Amino acid sequence: MRKHLKILEYALSSLWRRKFKSLGIIAVFSLIIFTLSSILLLTYAFKREAMEVLRGAPELIVQRISAGRHEMIPSWYGKRIQEIPGVGMVIPRYWGYYYDPSTGGNYTVMAAAGRGDRKLEMLSGKYPPAGGEVVVGKGVAESRFLSEGSRIPIKGSDGQVRNFIVAGIFTDESSLLTNDLIIMSLMDFRDVFKTGNERATDLVVQVFNPDEVENVARKIREIFPDTRPITRKEILRTYDTLFDWRSGMVLTMFGGALLAFIILAWDKAAGLSAEERHEIGILKAIGWETSDIMELRFWEGFVTSSVSFLTGLIGGYLHIFFFGASIFAPALKGWSVIFPSFRLLPYLNPYQVVVLMFLTVIPYMAATIFPSWKAAITDPDVVMRG
Amino acid sequence: MTNDTIIRAENLSLCINRGRPNEVWPVRDVSLQIKRGEVVVLKGPSGSGKTSLLSLLGCMSRPTEGRILVHGRDVAKLPERFLTEIRRKRFGFIFQQFNLIPGISVRENVMLPLYPVDISFREMRERADSLMDRLGLSGRSHFRVKGLSGGEQQRVAIARALVNDPEVIFADEPTAHLDTKLSSDLVGILEGLKKEGRTILIATHDPLLYEQGFIDRVLEMRDGSIR
Ligand SMILES: Nc1ncnc2c1ncn2[C@@H]1O[C@H](COP(=O)(O)OP(=O)(O)OP(=O)(O)O)[C@@H](O)[C@H]1O
Ligand SMILES: [Mg+2]
Repeated sequence: MRKHLKILEYALSSLWRRKFKSLGIIAVFSLIIFTLSSILLLTYAFKREAMEVLRGAPELIVQRISAGRHEMIPSWYGKRIQEIPGVGMVIPRYWGYYYDPSTGGNYTVMAAAGRGDRKLEMLSGKYPPAGGEVVVGKGVAESRFLSEGSRIPIKGSDGQVRNFIVAGIFTDESSLLTNDLIIMSLMDFRDVFKTGNERATDLVVQVFNPDEVENVARKIREIFPDTRPITRKEILRTYDTLFDWRSGMVLTMFGGALLAFIILAWDKAAGLSAEERHEIGILKAIGWETSDIMELRFWEGFVTSSVSFLTGLIGGYLHIFFFGASIFAPALKGWSVIFPSFRLLPYLNPYQVVVLMFLTVIPYMAATIFPSWKAAITDPDVVMRG
Repeated sequence: MTNDTIIRAENLSLCINRGRPNEVWPVRDVSLQIKRGEVVVLKGPSGSGKTSLLSLLGCMSRPTEGRILVHGRDVAKLPERFLTEIRRKRFGFIFQQFNLIPGISVRENVMLPLYPVDISFREMRERADSLMDRLGLSGRSHFRVKGLSGGEQQRVAIARALVNDPEVIFADEPTAHLDTKLSSDLVGILEGLKKEGRTILIATHDPLLYEQGFIDRVLEMRDGSIR
């Protein structure tokens, strides 16, 4: 036991002795881990958030299209759709965007009655809001410094400013779903946006038999040529292609970083300097076992790679979850289409950490230990000849 | 073989690059015995095989032919682990090139053979410090080896060879890098070690060393054999 501690001590002293080399390796190694972990954490966080969105997404949504653009849909469309065989409830949804000049933020405004598709367990405070009240997402509350009972002025389509009272705030359990949300009563919604009493933003159509969804969608298109039924499958497909394309890019980056790593490891393996070889010979000659030398190199590799791994991983974590993946931002512009609020929920998947470790720490350790093993099994008498 | 025989070599031969055009036999058919407390010098011209024989006797390399018995045990056939153990527990080496590790301190260099031994750090340090005291290195304990003079490096190498309290000390051309004054200092140190009862094996072609009175035997080597 003491022996192992002493060899560890000697390993640390060796690393310290070659501090520039050690720090250089740690710097490169950390950078690679940083890149790899950033990529991994980012893709995973995206997938998670997207799945979160999709889980709550309705099977079939019907929008009205006018001149190729999304239009408000008259309520009687819903009554007609309900008559199609196999259709259950048709729930109108009321939502829109609101630009807040004072913060420059774009919020999603919804009417409480029309939220048939969303789950609202993450509520703190009161829900649903009564007339003159709103319930807001955490992002909204933060950017406007709101708490329960504060007032929030909202300017309607008629130019009039209405003061709403904050009745509740969504917790940030799924910030993606609720972050930029302002929910008010249907009456207030109609009043603010002047949508009229007979029009909804879109319709959620329940279909009893999931296999019938495509059929129902086709029928709706026949009856109302000016509508666009969107099935969940279609949404999934869109996400899928997007993910595929992104993953392809991400994989390229991942591969590149891994390649850089292999080069580092290989360089180290090939680069057992004459000096290092000589030192191994000396240790061997004065009575170190081959296994002691392996242990020495193991500790060196272990310390180097765990310091680098932790530094890189923590760096990647902070980069993705606290600095909004700022370094990748240019490559990821497209994401903001899906995720308006670019603030991912911090999450570390232990499985990924283990995978990353296996792909980097293990090969690195092998690359450290193997060449010295080759040097250590040779007879030490070479040191007798200098 | 008496109990007093520590190392015994029987018809030792060493071949390098066997079967290839550059095949050489640095050691040919050498038989000898080293007794406890003896100081033996291997003398001979450059290339006569002194270093090669020393490294065979010191269990650093294996003979191509013949046997080496350490305390009656044929080590030539033992697994490497045992050879290492013998070097670690019984032998101390003073190399021609000193072979110190340049980046670490004098004390760490001296302690080097003790890292794989199951003793505490404190004991390691105590042993190293007392040896450095004895060899006049106490003020140098935290110096890097790089900055030391040749004589000081030599003494660090000696301290390292002694730190495991070895039975046998192997010294290969110990005066090669020393001037006359330092060489006679070294002779003094070796004499002291002999008085402690240690067995010493020296390879040298330096008359100043092999003509000393404390030397028990001089073996002359030529072309790998002892005459
Ligand atoms: N590993 C080796 N590869 C090639 N030749 C070797 C090797 N080891 C020994 N020799 C040869 O064997 C001969 C004896 O070498 P050795 O070093 O034992 O002589 P030495 O008596 O110690 O010489 P010196 O006094 O110069 O140190 C030399 O000719 C040397 O070139
Ligand atoms: Mg020699």
